[in-house]
Order: sequence, then structure tokens, then C-alpha cells
Amino acid sequence: MIRLEDLTKRFPQGGGVEGVDLEILEGEVFVLLGASGSGKTTLLNLVAGLLAPDRGRILLAGREVTHLPPERRELGYVFQDQGLWPHLTALDHLLLVMPRPDRREALALLERVGLLDHSHKRPHQLSGGQRQRVALARALARRPRLLLLDEPYSALDPVLREELRLEVRTLLKERGTTALHVTHDPEEAMLLADRVGVMSQGRLLQVGAPKEVYLRPNSLESFLAFGRANVFHIEGEVLAFRQEWVRPGGSLEALVLERRELRGEVLCRVQLEWGEAWVRLEAGVGERVRIQIHPLLRFPQGLPDPAMAAGV
Amino acid sequence: MTRPGFSRSLSFPWHLPLALALAFPFLVLFVRGLPHFPSTGRDLDVILFSLVLAGLGTLLTLFLALNLAVLGRAGRVAGGWEALLLLGYLVPPFVTGMGLLFSLGTLGVRIQGVPGILLAWTLHYAPLAYLLLKPQVGLALGLLTTARVHGATGLRALRAFLPPLFPPLLVVGGTLYLALLGNFGVPAVLGLPERVYVLPTLAYARLLSPVAQDPLGEAAALGLWLALLALPAVLLTQNPLLEAKEPLLPPSRPLYRLLFALYSVAALALVLLGLLREALQNPYTGRWDPAFAQALGLPLVQKGLRNSLLLALVATGLLLLLGLALRPFPRLSKGIRGVLDIHYLLPGTLLGVGLILLLAPTPLYGTPWLLLLAYLLHFAALALRALEGGPGVEGAVLAGRVHGLSPGRAWWRLGYPLLLPYLYAGALLIFPLAFAEITLSALLYAPGAETVGVAVLSALNGGLYREASALGLILMGVAALALLGRPR
Repeated sequence: MIRLEDLTKRFPQGGGVEGVDLEILEGEVFVLLGASGSGKTTLLNLVAGLLAPDRGRILLAGREVTHLPPERRELGYVFQDQGLWPHLTALDHLLLVMPRPDRREALALLERVGLLDHSHKRPHQLSGGQRQRVALARALARRPRLLLLDEPYSALDPVLREELRLEVRTLLKERGTTALHVTHDPEEAMLLADRVGVMSQGRLLQVGAPKEVYLRPNSLESFLAFGRANVFHIEGEVLAFRQEWVRPGGSLEALVLERRELRGEVLCRVQLEWGEAWVRLEAGVGERVRIQIHPLLRFPQGLPDPAMAAGV
Repeated sequence: MTRPGFSRSLSFPWHLPLALALAFPFLVLFVRGLPHFPSTGRDLDVILFSLVLAGLGTLLTLFLALNLAVLGRAGRVAGGWEALLLLGYLVPPFVTGMGLLFSLGTLGVRIQGVPGILLAWTLHYAPLAYLLLKPQVGLALGLLTTARVHGATGLRALRAFLPPLFPPLLVVGGTLYLALLGNFGVPAVLGLPERVYVLPTLAYARLLSPVAQDPLGEAAALGLWLALLALPAVLLTQNPLLEAKEPLLPPSRPLYRLLFALYSVAALALVLLGLLREALQNPYTGRWDPAFAQALGLPLVQKGLRNSLLLALVATGLLLLLGLALRPFPRLSKGIRGVLDIHYLLPGTLLGVGLILLLAPTPLYGTPWLLLLAYLLHFAALALRALEGGPGVEGAVLAGRVHGLSPGRAWWRLGYPLLLPYLYAGALLIFPLAFAEITLSALLYAPGAETVGVAVLSALNGGLYREASALGLILMGVAALALLGRPR
């Protein structure tokens, strides 16, 4: 459906994307995961035509669109800040972008996103979640070849975010819409993606099924992108594992220093032979327990800075 | 989220040749004035006097405005009282001068000359400085509150308040200095009767002088001096003021609000009462005898009102259309505005003399079109600035384009509707200023095409004080209407 070849954009002040090659298949929901400043939104804006690349090509449905203006790319875009038009009603948002405005179709789409009763309202009369639904309906109204979503739930409260992202996934699959979704939230990536790509410092580090990238990251940066990370720099290599990869029993000894409960799971700060770590483990403070870690990942020593890892 | 602009079109730097063309009146002024530069000893006295007077006026106005801003921000003043204060600024400066002259004259205080000019400038321009300083003072008050919350008091707390205000005070001071240095109306009303000259009035007198050997050249040289004195302040005003976010403010103080309200009422009353008394009461009989009919019956006034209305309407309309046409091309618009800003910031006398020098040999000279051109050049920066507003407009258009709308349709359906409040605000800003304009009109009006500003000045010079006051009240009415119609 869409192919990016060696896509590069550098900014004078630094940042951008560097040599990105990527293919997204028809009907696929592809999620780009990365920290702030990793180049995700730049990549999205290059695809949308809001930025011109320094190098590389963008092919949409076999047609090169690299230098086409945004309006000729047949896209939909759900912006982080919704980007709604304050003087238009929800219904007008849809009618304006439809190639052949069809009131019945627009109302049906609004009904599908739960906004039929709000079709006459302007953005300031809607709640945050409702506005995001209008943005989504607008993006779908023109039947785009590719839907771009730029952290669309980041401004919403956690409860609404969880509810809406599952709804959106269902809607996209129902309509067979190809989507490129960017987020910094690993949970969101796991939940929504057919495939996920990890970005760091403008480069696409790894692409694969969410579970595959989660369990078998090809680099420390890729590992860190999914969070819940414990990282130890030991004798020329980096040992890394996630909090939930710890099981009771095994050869490693752990002294429990602190215990916290979080949404039904218990997290413990433990002293291991390599240093302190947070792990998911049922134990009491002061207890010495034997544990096993699987998988325990090993990466070559080097980037990134341990301080960065600790912050993840 | 910030969406990047998408501008592949108009890559040729059109703004450079356009800017050069727009700056042409100044270039001509420079060439023509240079042989007469520097000027005579008497001129140098006026130059120094203008510098000192504008500097002193700036300091007084800044002091008053800073106090008003503290009262306004700490007293949470908004809406009606602010509008009342602003009315003083929307009224033409020479009307402020006239009002003060008549008000204080009633009390037996003669204010012609330096004290009157300083008082009129301070009262007239304090609202402008207040508007510019208010957000900055709010920010500084927020810092002061934060310092107090953390236990700092007295001088230590003031260290959190004053230093952040220095850069804005410099920028606002620069803006005021430019306005005062180039002001023609107040020194014309309050200075000329006492033979007190500043650069704009001296240039005007030199142009009309029957004894000057080369009136245009000498006026151009004075214009050059004006430019020279103004230039440092123009550079100073290029520093943008900080965008102040809603700061943490101390609890509202009703006393501050009261003081602010008292000042607003007193400042307006000082101008208004003099004009009302002069226009409504017969000085010989002491009876109620409104002078509006006499004023409006004067042929010069009738012509002036008609011409000013027409000129202001056409100039406002054309400039806003230009602003709308340029709005989709921000680089081009900002490039042109860069030069037009100079036209607005530099004293109108410079533009007036420059246009006379440039267009005197053409058929345009001596026609109302010359004045229209001068208005267009002088006020264009205001129109472009007004329409540069609307931070969401660019994003809305881009969002439209991403969803398939052509650039033209996206602007028509999304960008321009969102700009309507800014268009309205621009019209309400430019129209009253153009309607009551006096500096350019006094220099460039064609016989038979006098403006209302020229009519008021002529009435004053001819001793028709009651008629001049009635006209001043009409101009105040126009300003008040503009203020009432402002977008909220």
C-alpha cells in the first residue's frame, strides 16, 4: 500500500529522520513506537506532504507521491491536537472533506463513532473524547488510502484513552483502512498494531509483530522502547530484562527491598548480584527469594547511556 | 502539536524588489536632503529640543503606564474601565491637545507650549503603553508572587519583579519615543501658537515658508534628522515582547481597581469637559448653544468629513483586501511588512516629504490620490499585522489540505472564516486612525480635497474654537463607536 524508500529529512537544529525504508500492507495497522524526538511525527508529516524530504521516495498504492502536495495524496490525518475547525459543526467537518458530499453517509459515519446526536455541534461544544471522534470521522470520511494518526489519544484522560483506542482499532479493521499510527506508549503499540516499528534518533531500528519486537529486540534501544526495563552494564556487555520476565525459583538470589502494588500486580525492588531492579514478584519486604529471568537479553556494551535506561 | 508549513510556491524572493519599491520615498528623501545636511544652528536647536522633549515625554508616559499596568493587573481590571482608558488613545492626539487646552483654560491655566505638549502626550499615549506593558507586568507580578510564596520580601522580592520588566520597558519606551518624535498634531495645536517648534512642525513650516530658498530640500534635511533620531528606537522596537502566559497573581485588590477607574474617568473627563464646554456653551452669553450645526455648515468641514470618510473607507478596504490576499504567503507578507513597518513607525512627516519629492513632477501630485497612496503606505503595516493573527489559521488550512481540499478552497472555507475577527479588528483599528489623520493630510492634501484633520487645524488657526471643539467631539464619537464595536 505504502512504501518509503531511503526517506531522509534533516533539520538545521538537529533531528529528523534518516534513511527510513518501510512497507505497510493494505489493511494493516502499523504502529511507529519511539520516544519524543525520535522522528515519528516527522515521518508522518513527510508522508502527509507537510514536509518535503531531503532524499528518498514515498509510493502510495504504487504511485510516487513524494513531491505531490498534501491534497493530492488521498490521506486522512488524525492530529494530536485534533486540528478541528472551530467554525464548523461535526457534520460539516465530514461534508467538507468528502469528494462527493453525502449527508446520509456522513451521518452514518457520525453514528458509527457515537456522535449522531452531536452532529450539529461545533468543537467547543464537545468533550475531548467527542472531538477526537470527530477528527477520526473526518479522516475516514474521504475514504483515505492511508490514515495517519499522530498520538491521537495523548491529550485524553487514561480511562477515555483505553476505551477509544480499542474502538478505533475495531473501526479501522471493520473498514479495512490502512493506518500508520505513531505513539510513545508501548501498551498502545502492543494493543493496536498488526506490526510495529521502533524508531530512535530518526532511524527505524526494527520492524515486526508486536510480540516479536517485544520479546526479541534487535538492539538495546529497541528493547528500551517497550519500557519496564532493567538494564545492567557488566563486563563489556549489557544485561537487560523486563519486570515481567521474572519467575520464582531458579538460581538467582534476590533480596526484596520494597514492595508496591499496582493495578492488581505486585512490583518489588530487589537487590540482585548486578545491582537493584524492579521486578514483578509476589514476596514480602526483607524476604530472600530465588528467581529465574527468562529471557535475559545480552547486548554489546555502548549506547545508550545507562542514565537514559534508568529513566525508561 | 505544531504543524510545519508547506511552502514550495513563491520561492522567488518577491519581497525584495517590492520592499525596495516601497522604500523609494525614503531613498528620494535621503538623496534630496543630503546637500542640506546638517542644518543651520537654529534648526539644530529644534533638533536637540525635539530629542529632549520626546525623551522626557517617553519617560513620563512610561512611568504613568507602568503604574496603570500594575493597578490594572493587580486589580484585575478588564472590560469597561479598560475601554474607557483606551478611548483616550483612539481619539486623535490633537483632539486630546484641544480638550486639555480648553479644560485647563477654563480653570485659568495656560498650557500652550512645553508643559501642554508633555501633558497631552502623556495622557494620550499612556493607554497604548499600558496595553503593551500589561501582559509583561502580569508576568512580573507572577514572579513577585512566587518570590513571596518562597519567603522573599522587600528588596529581595523586588529583584524578582523589576529585572524582567527592563527589556519590555525598553521596547515600549522605543515605541513611545517614535510616536512622540513624529507626532505633529499636539505640537501643532499647543506648540505653534507659542512658536514652540519640533521637527515635524518645523518641516511643515519650512514647506510653507515663503522665504525658504529650497523649501523641499530643507524639509527633506529635517526629515533626515528625524530619521536619524528615530532609527535607534526603530531597531529597539524590533525585539518582540515576550508572550506572557497566565501568571500566578496575588489576590485581586479592589483599591487598585478603584484607582484605575478614577484615573480613566479623570483623564477622559479632562479632555471631554473642555471640548463639551467649548462646543455646547456660548462664551459670550454663557447659554446652551451647540456649535455642531455651525461646524458642520462650514464648507471646509463638509469637504473634510466627506473626503476623510471616503479616504478612510477606501484605504481600510484596500489594505484589508491586500492583507487577505497576502495571508496565504507568509514569507512574502512578512517581507513586505518589514518595510511597511518602517513606514508606520517612522514619523509621518518623513513619508509625506518623501512622497512630495517623489511625485511632485507627476500628475498624481495635487490630487486626492496622493493622499490615498500615503494612507495606504502608512497604514498597511497595521492591516498586515492584524491579519497575521489567528495562530490556528495555518493549521486549519493545512488540515484541510491534508484531507483533500485545494489550497484556494481550504483558505476560502477554513482560513478566511477564521480570520474574520482579525479582519474586523483591523478595520476598527485602521478606519478611525485614517479618518482623523492629520500629519500626512496637512502635508499632502490637494486644494478641494482637505480632510477633517486639516479642517480642524484650519478652524483652530482661524479662531473658530467652538467649531473645532464640535469637530473634536465628532471624532471622539467615531472612536467610541469603533471601541464599542470591537471584537470581544
